[in-house]
Amino acid sequence: MSVLINKDTKVIVQGITGGMGSTHARLMREYGTNIVAGVTPGKGGQDFDGIPVYDSVYEACAKHEVNCSVIFVPPYFALDAALEAINAGIPLISVITEGLPPQDAVKLHAAADAKGTLVNGPNCPGIITPGECLIGIHPGSIYKPGRVGLISRSGTLTYEIGLGLKQADIGISTALGIGGDPIIGIDQIKSLELLEADSDTDSIILVGEIGGTAEEEAAEYIKTNVKKPVIGYIAGVTAPPGKRMGHAGAIISGNKGTAQSKREAFEAAGVKVADTPYQIIDLVKDQMAVKA
Amino acid sequence: MRQFEYEAKALFRKEGIPTPQGFVISCAEEVFSIPAKTFPKTLKTQVLSGGRGKAGGIQFANDQEDAYQKAQDIFKLPIKGELPTKILVEPKVTIKKELYVSILIDRAYRGPILMGSAEGGVEIEESGSIEIVPVPGARYSSFHARELGAKMGLQGKELIKFAGLVDKLWTVWTKNDCDLAEINPLIIDGDDNFIALDGKVTINEDAVGRQPQFAGQLAAHLSDLGEREFKGKMCGLNIVELEGNIGILCNGAGLTMATMDLVLHKGGKPSNFLDVGGGANKDHVKRALDLVSSSSDVKVLLVNILGGITACDEVAAALAYYKEIRPEAKMVVRLVGNNEAKAKEIMDKAGIPMTNILETAVEEAVSLAK
Repeated sequence: MSVLINKDTKVIVQGITGGMGSTHARLMREYGTNIVAGVTPGKGGQDFDGIPVYDSVYEACAKHEVNCSVIFVPPYFALDAALEAINAGIPLISVITEGLPPQDAVKLHAAADAKGTLVNGPNCPGIITPGECLIGIHPGSIYKPGRVGLISRSGTLTYEIGLGLKQADIGISTALGIGGDPIIGIDQIKSLELLEADSDTDSIILVGEIGGTAEEEAAEYIKTNVKKPVIGYIAGVTAPPGKRMGHAGAIISGNKGTAQSKREAFEAAGVKVADTPYQIIDLVKDQMAVKA
Repeated sequence: MRQFEYEAKALFRKEGIPTPQGFVISCAEEVFSIPAKTFPKTLKTQVLSGGRGKAGGIQFANDQEDAYQKAQDIFKLPIKGELPTKILVEPKVTIKKELYVSILIDRAYRGPILMGSAEGGVEIEESGSIEIVPVPGARYSSFHARELGAKMGLQGKELIKFAGLVDKLWTVWTKNDCDLAEINPLIIDGDDNFIALDGKVTINEDAVGRQPQFAGQLAAHLSDLGEREFKGKMCGLNIVELEGNIGILCNGAGLTMATMDLVLHKGGKPSNFLDVGGGANKDHVKRALDLVSSSSDVKVLLVNILGGITACDEVAAALAYYKEIRPEAKMVVRLVGNNEAKAKEIMDKAGIPMTNILETAVEEAVSLAK
């Protein structure tokens, strides 16, 4: 079954005619994602490699069955694009855009929460259910289908782990790149809830990083709500306090959000914590051996 | 982008928040252009680093001559390594009450919060008397400010005046895309006026591009950064300075942190964090190589690229060029993913060894750095 996306997901791409949107619309389609339409205001009526382009999300939804939108729109226009998708009633939107001003992010999430829209991101690589559907910018060939769920705040680190798993012949049910911003939609807890309920997921890898308290809260959630084995990893042991480590959300404020505190929270919740990305693979293997 | 105090106060005044009538001076001699009869004055060094008061960056002057001497000293006094280019000269004010108020986005509340305290001053973070009122979805109305004021113990006219001031601070915060707009202390003077005695305003880095009033000001607002961090900001490279000797160049924030952590795990010390970002081309990587190696502490360069959007051959081309101009440089390179085979050809031709295994690369870099 996987979570959030599968072979029945019908996707529109907002910003399909832009540089990033066009590149990744092609890659997503090559991977097998069912892209039913594209939206770029002012370019309605055009045809993008056989995909019809509309001026508005409303129009795309009137002409096609749509249940997901992927947004590749520049940062200062992303709020408007997301509000349009939320307003059109699309249940799942993935905002790939990096650099959304925080005051816009607040408005985006408030609108989504009010409507019950699930928002992946912003500033994320998207979601992939290997062999079925890819939304976003994950390099599809790095993953193989399988029964391990993967949740991560980072893009390339997720690929690193996906690649390591593939080399060890371990597959993924769904990989969720939840985003590196301070305020995100589908968070660690929501992702855990979805993967825990998914009958095609046996175990979960949770990749966190410094900044905020999401990992500490996820650990509390795991204690009472997650029965499947969880393997954790935290990036940023070497990060100095007060410095933004690339991601807008990766910053230790005062003594809050350190790798140490997150690691301890994970361990207290029974999560096996890896010291290195490749140790994650070993822990997954151990887990599979126990099960067998 | 943190604003200097005198700039923060200008943003406050634009929205009608009263501040002391200040003069901004760029050299000590300028104190003689301030009317002699308006002394005594307070001289405040204009730096971005905190803790200037304790470090001697705030001085009182009885007259012009006194101010001249003290301004000379202040211009020569670095605060955490940062020298001022300006001093703010303000009249002394009578203080009846010192309050604190600020607006910022809080991760836990998923939106802006108003923070306030009836005990303003420098030790506010430790005082434990801070009140919070969240503003869900950034849909602010004056009642949020009155709620905060009431929690702080304000009543009657003071409560109403306070709320009016917070309305204006909210405008400062939204209009300028601030991360933080803070008044500390916010004072009530002898005539019951609310005055912003000190101000801290930070413009969000991602939003600066849509705020034309701050265009071209970035370089002047990075005086608290080290050399590599300053240069990085100027050329769009995200670098964070550390104290080790292994220069790090990676793509993706998470992978970069994981690579640094792995260096530490294997007994080495990273010299920096540098994320070249997704889809970096040859020139961008060349700039990054220059930047990382511009520190004399760097003994080895560790390059770790996992090509998703980024093409490994673009990175390889930059590395080959770098090897040509700096043949003595020690480089350990891990390239994997998009166009890996093409990259391998370029690297072989340039005579740079390359691996596709991260652990191997890190172990080699650590041993070369010893």
